[in-house]
Amino acid sequence: MVEASNTTVTLQVHRFAPRAERAERARGGSPFARKSSPFGGGSESASRRRPRGKQWVQEYTIPARPEDTILDCLLAIKRTIDPTLAFRYSCGHGMCGSDAVSINGTPTLLCTASIRDWAKQPGALPQVDDEGFRHIGEDESDGGASDDGASLGVIELAPLPGFPPQRDLIADIDPMLNQIRKLTPYLEADGVLATTEEGKVNAFEYLQHPEQLAKYETLSNCIACGVCEGSCPVFAGGDAFIGPAALIWSSRFINDSRDAKTMERMDAIDTADGVAACQSVRACSRHCPRGIDVGEEMWQIVAKVRER
Amino acid sequence: MSPKRLEDMYDAVIVGAGAAGLSAALGLLRSPEVAELREQGLDPKILVVSKLQPLRSHTGSAEGGIAASLGNIESDDWHWHYYDTIKGGDWLVDQDAAKLLAEYAPETVINLERQGVAFSRTEDGHIAQRRFGGHTRDFGGEPVKRAAYAADRIGHQILHTLWQQCVAQGVEFAEEWYVTDLVLTEDGSQAAGIVAMDTHTGKIHAIHARNVLIATGGAGRLFHTTSNSWDLTGDGMALALASGLQLEDIEFVQFHPTGLAHTGILLSEAARAEGGILRNAEGEAFMERYAPEHKDLAARDVVSRSIMAEIDAGRGVADPKDPNGPKDCVWLDMTGIDPKRMAQALPQVVETIEQYANLDPAKDLIPIKPTAHYTMGGLPITTDGEVYRWDGTRRTVVDGLFAAGECSCVSVHGANRLGGNSLLDACLFGTRSGRTLAARIVENPAGSPMADDASDELLTAAVDQAADMRNQELDKLLQGSTAAGQSDHGEGDENAYALMARLGSIMERALAVRCSADTIGNALEQLNTSIRPAAEALHAHDKTAAFNQEVTAIWEVRHLIELAEAVLQASDARHESRGSMRRLDFPERDDEHFLAHSMVSADGTVTFKPVIITDYPPKKREY
Repeated sequence: MVEASNTTVTLQVHRFAPRAERAERARGGSPFARKSSPFGGGSESASRRRPRGKQWVQEYTIPARPEDTILDCLLAIKRTIDPTLAFRYSCGHGMCGSDAVSINGTPTLLCTASIRDWAKQPGALPQVDDEGFRHIGEDESDGGASDDGASLGVIELAPLPGFPPQRDLIADIDPMLNQIRKLTPYLEADGVLATTEEGKVNAFEYLQHPEQLAKYETLSNCIACGVCEGSCPVFAGGDAFIGPAALIWSSRFINDSRDAKTMERMDAIDTADGVAACQSVRACSRHCPRGIDVGEEMWQIVAKVRER
Repeated sequence: MSPKRLEDMYDAVIVGAGAAGLSAALGLLRSPEVAELREQGLDPKILVVSKLQPLRSHTGSAEGGIAASLGNIESDDWHWHYYDTIKGGDWLVDQDAAKLLAEYAPETVINLERQGVAFSRTEDGHIAQRRFGGHTRDFGGEPVKRAAYAADRIGHQILHTLWQQCVAQGVEFAEEWYVTDLVLTEDGSQAAGIVAMDTHTGKIHAIHARNVLIATGGAGRLFHTTSNSWDLTGDGMALALASGLQLEDIEFVQFHPTGLAHTGILLSEAARAEGGILRNAEGEAFMERYAPEHKDLAARDVVSRSIMAEIDAGRGVADPKDPNGPKDCVWLDMTGIDPKRMAQALPQVVETIEQYANLDPAKDLIPIKPTAHYTMGGLPITTDGEVYRWDGTRRTVVDGLFAAGECSCVSVHGANRLGGNSLLDACLFGTRSGRTLAARIVENPAGSPMADDASDELLTAAVDQAADMRNQELDKLLQGSTAAGQSDHGEGDENAYALMARLGSIMERALAVRCSADTIGNALEQLNTSIRPAAEALHAHDKTAAFNQEVTAIWEVRHLIELAEAVLQASDARHESRGSMRRLDFPERDDEHFLAHSMVSADGTVTFKPVIITDYPPKKREY
């Protein structure tokens, strides 16, 4: 479908190819190789955050329509131009959470981002002004695109900020999942499960009224895509912060009337790298694909922890 | 997440981390047998291998509900659910399995709730339930509210809850590892393990296991227009074929009536359950003609065929995105649903329509088209999840090999699955297979110092050999990239992604909703003369093995091709129309010859196996 249109779009993709592991291991035998570099870093974790390899920006211009998603375009590139371009994708409609990347500098999902919303005419890409600010957002110069059936504009793609890039648009989001895991992300109630005898069940569901459900239902819709984390200047900036996603998951259980560990959960996030690290920037809310007002929810959970 | 170090021998390796795989892991770890083992200080050695991070599994896209006769809204009885499942499957359902499905459904749903699923609720706090196609009271009477739901995100809720429980249980995952081989012992009688590529490093691993469970999901990517994620390439089914096993009833593919026009993205059946009506180009609510009683909520195959009949009769409409294109859609009219109710009960449906069609369902008619949705068939399993062979007269279980979920066929769906029964199948039979696994493991746990590991050597050798061969192939695929420069403009240089698209178009023309000997023969011809040679010529265009998605895509499309051949052969052998399968050249159901499960193997041989009928003899299927 993408191929059938008479307009085009240009994707500028920040690519990265990891160096083959073998080369690095060959040096591993030397006792001197472990010494830290004179430029700082050098610790195990820092070197893992920045894998070595080749970096470059590649431009692809392909036929596309304004209503196509950027994922549609990248898949067309794989089919018709460059099968080596690497990016995660799965369901293609915003439910699986696998395809968060940085689009024109903003973390969001490839499959929900349309060309119409993101393509900019060359020159309209945010430039750094005299005071060092990049202007984004409001000044939507739509530049009279597509009148002549030509270019719809340019879109810049890079891996999700705040996570180590692994290859092209693929970033390592395990740090986020590990932080989620750390906060016991599962319902803790009486733990009894039902069994059936002669067609009859011996236990019923925990009762929960619609208004009790409403307290956490939205939070339970988080798909762990990492968009909020990549948008958070504290988290993506590299400070010690367990991150908005893990806190949303924790809040989901704190607000669930069925859960018996509310106090323990609040204790667990009442730490310097927990709720105290949130600076209320609220950048986390802007592109949540599940419509969670992450910033507001963070504010609520911070208040709840303080009030306990 | 990847294991730091692989065990020399696993008690069980589970392939796939959707509802079925995760349920199996939990069923295994929560069993009394494993509790006993742990009392002796032994932990079972379990690894869940998945080509995706588990939270990305396609279970998460299920929208509408999970069926169980909880009777929370109106009186219900599991026997009615049992009957509906059989009737919905056009009597090609093994009734012993369907009985278990219906009888244990309430337990399954209640336990999902007790593990954390955020079900929608009734005013008095019970799990809310809605109508779903084909679910009735009094053995085929009035529609009944049987589908337990969580707004329209039940799959997301179930997937996340099961993953959360696996975190609680400390389940070890190998994430983004792609399984290339299912290895059996040389005589094919016993599972030996798997070969998998860690896509992060591009390294091939031999994983030895006394038990293997396949839970890889469906194969929607056989078709161009599908509701399935890009990862549903039938891997588990193709692995079974490659290791000499058969697939059961694989010709039955459900086309969901309401894919969003040409995108194939699913609009949940809940849209019709909440009052959405299908209309043709003339505005007529045509389902009244095809299914006078259940109308728009008749079983899915009935609705899909009715839509195609309207399109064939020239009463279809074009996708408004492509107004000059083919008139191969009809309208879904949701304008009669109260907007408040729509926002509350169908948020996902509304969002999908706004996002991908740029339309407002409260005002606009929505273009829809049947989309490949579910494979009823798969690896033949017993009701305890064991994979078996069929030799024409009896079943022979493959020791230590299990399957669960969409890739398997315990035959509860027969020729057509009812809505709400797939999550139920995956969770219920997944849990059961996990328990069977536990009983096997406890007899001879790999970690026990007193264990009998006499046969381990045999397993290890078989897996290592397969891994060696796969390594050589990987080298070849990667080395092929050097030659790519020269042959890039040659026609032999189609890449795996383009080939997958071409295969999808061929299969769609041949089999979507209806088929005939001609369409099947035509597709087989193209498969053999054009697709297979192209698949053999595939190679990667980059030498770096780490995160080389193209290598995975090459194996995926090869899996799809083997599976496509099996689907075509099984379709060819069934000279009747039943459930999801509509043969234009054999329009009637033929119980005399084909009230039987097809069993197809990689060489295209099809044999038939009797249906287990215990309670409800076949009747005409009308809605």
